Amino acid sequence: MNSGITIINGRTQITGSGDSVRIDLPAGESLDLCLMQEPGGKDFEINLSEGAELGMTLICIGCPEAVNRMRINLNGPHSRVSLNGLYLLRGEARLENHIVLSHNCPECRSSQLFKGILEDKATAVFDALIKVVPGAQKTEAFQRNDNLLLSPQARVHSEPQLEIYADDVKCSHGATNGVLNEDELFYMRSRGISLAQARILQQLSFVGEVIEAIPSEQIRQEILSILEQYLRRQ
Amino acid sequence: MLSIRNLHASVGDKEILKGINIDVHPGEVHAIMGPNGAGKSTLSAVLAGRESYKVTEGEVLFEGRNLLEMSPEERSWAGIFLGFQYPIEVPGVSNVNFMKAALAEHRAHKGLEPLGSAAFLKLMREKMALVEMDASFSSRGVNVGFSGGEKKRNEIFQMAMLEPKLAILDETDSGLDVDALRIVGNGVTKLKNPGSATIVITHYQRLLDYIVPDVIHILYKGRIVKTAGRELALEIERNGYEGLAE
Repeated sequence: MNSGITIINGRTQITGSGDSVRIDLPAGESLDLCLMQEPGGKDFEINLSEGAELGMTLICIGCPEAVNRMRINLNGPHSRVSLNGLYLLRGEARLENHIVLSHNCPECRSSQLFKGILEDKATAVFDALIKVVPGAQKTEAFQRNDNLLLSPQARVHSEPQLEIYADDVKCSHGATNGVLNEDELFYMRSRGISLAQARILQQLSFVGEVIEAIPSEQIRQEILSILEQYLRRQ
Repeated sequence: MLSIRNLHASVGDKEILKGINIDVHPGEVHAIMGPNGAGKSTLSAVLAGRESYKVTEGEVLFEGRNLLEMSPEERSWAGIFLGFQYPIEVPGVSNVNFMKAALAEHRAHKGLEPLGSAAFLKLMREKMALVEMDASFSSRGVNVGFSGGEKKRNEIFQMAMLEPKLAILDETDSGLDVDALRIVGNGVTKLKNPGSATIVITHYQRLLDYIVPDVIHILYKGRIVKTAGRELALEIERNGYEGLAE
């Protein structure tokens, strides 16, 4: 739950000093990480060897200012990465995620799902590039960034990018920016759910996909309780 | 219980309701019938508190309180339930969490603690059985992927959970096959009690075979043009709405 971590997971090495973290996943190893955002942000370099699997979730609930830079390399065939992010920003908070994810060999799979809820004058940047190098055939790469903007002054700069130099690949990317659904809010209110509670339910539902993808039940519950406190402004 | 006085309402610049008067007393079942475009849905939306409809004249009192000044949730807490013609899907919020949140707020307004988990689930099971809903629906997102009939059954299930004083059922029969119509109709009838009232808004009389009205109002071009007993429904079934306007 803290990115100042030392995790020893099999032969996986995580080394870091200060604001930079390096993770090397040897062949066949797998690792699940859930990191709470710290102010300032981190630089990550992550390398995956053959058949290695990484599940990583970045959680930022109300962090004032942070810039993360991630470089993820799928260096061995059949390696997989699932990189998800969740950010809830209010006030003048600003979060930037700059991601370069390289498919450096064939038959690897990557997925990225970042979801954000922004209020007040908060700003989020999602700048994410998927690179598929020549010869990295049978690559599967997916990338999505969805945002809920709860105030007209909230800003999102979403730039999902693909750079593909192989011809037998499945890749997709997309971004959406939306607001709370008035019909759903009205429906909930007509059943006696107050507007404040209806808004919370809708926000929890919006981020549900990212939370449900976290494998540890205990961490899911912990994050849900932090989220609910944040949404109730406690 | 409900008193609608000279109600005028508009959408944008267009006046849809042009002076509606209806009085509903406890224990009564009223049907409001009318052709498409008569203003039936506008009336139910105004009673439920949809903001896109503007009341330009008149008043609505519910148990002596000015209904039009109450928020949608306040209306629900006061005991009004609107069965939607097109129930809304709420992805990511399960039926059980939805009802738990709704019931907890209703109880809080009566000064009651939320029901414990076991009691709540027992109540859900009982009320779902009333509309022959499978238990598997509890964990599904509200109305998500439900068929037309399942959505309407879910509306009546919610009504059963909230035990309203006044239920307004807006075109609850639309899109229902015969079996679903029977289940929904019988469900509503079983929920009736001497202190509660029902307004059934409908185009056709077929739902009225199950929910027998005491009074039928014909809404036509924004006005109530006729009010009579249940025999009026059969007359409309035979002759249509034409000719009633005079």
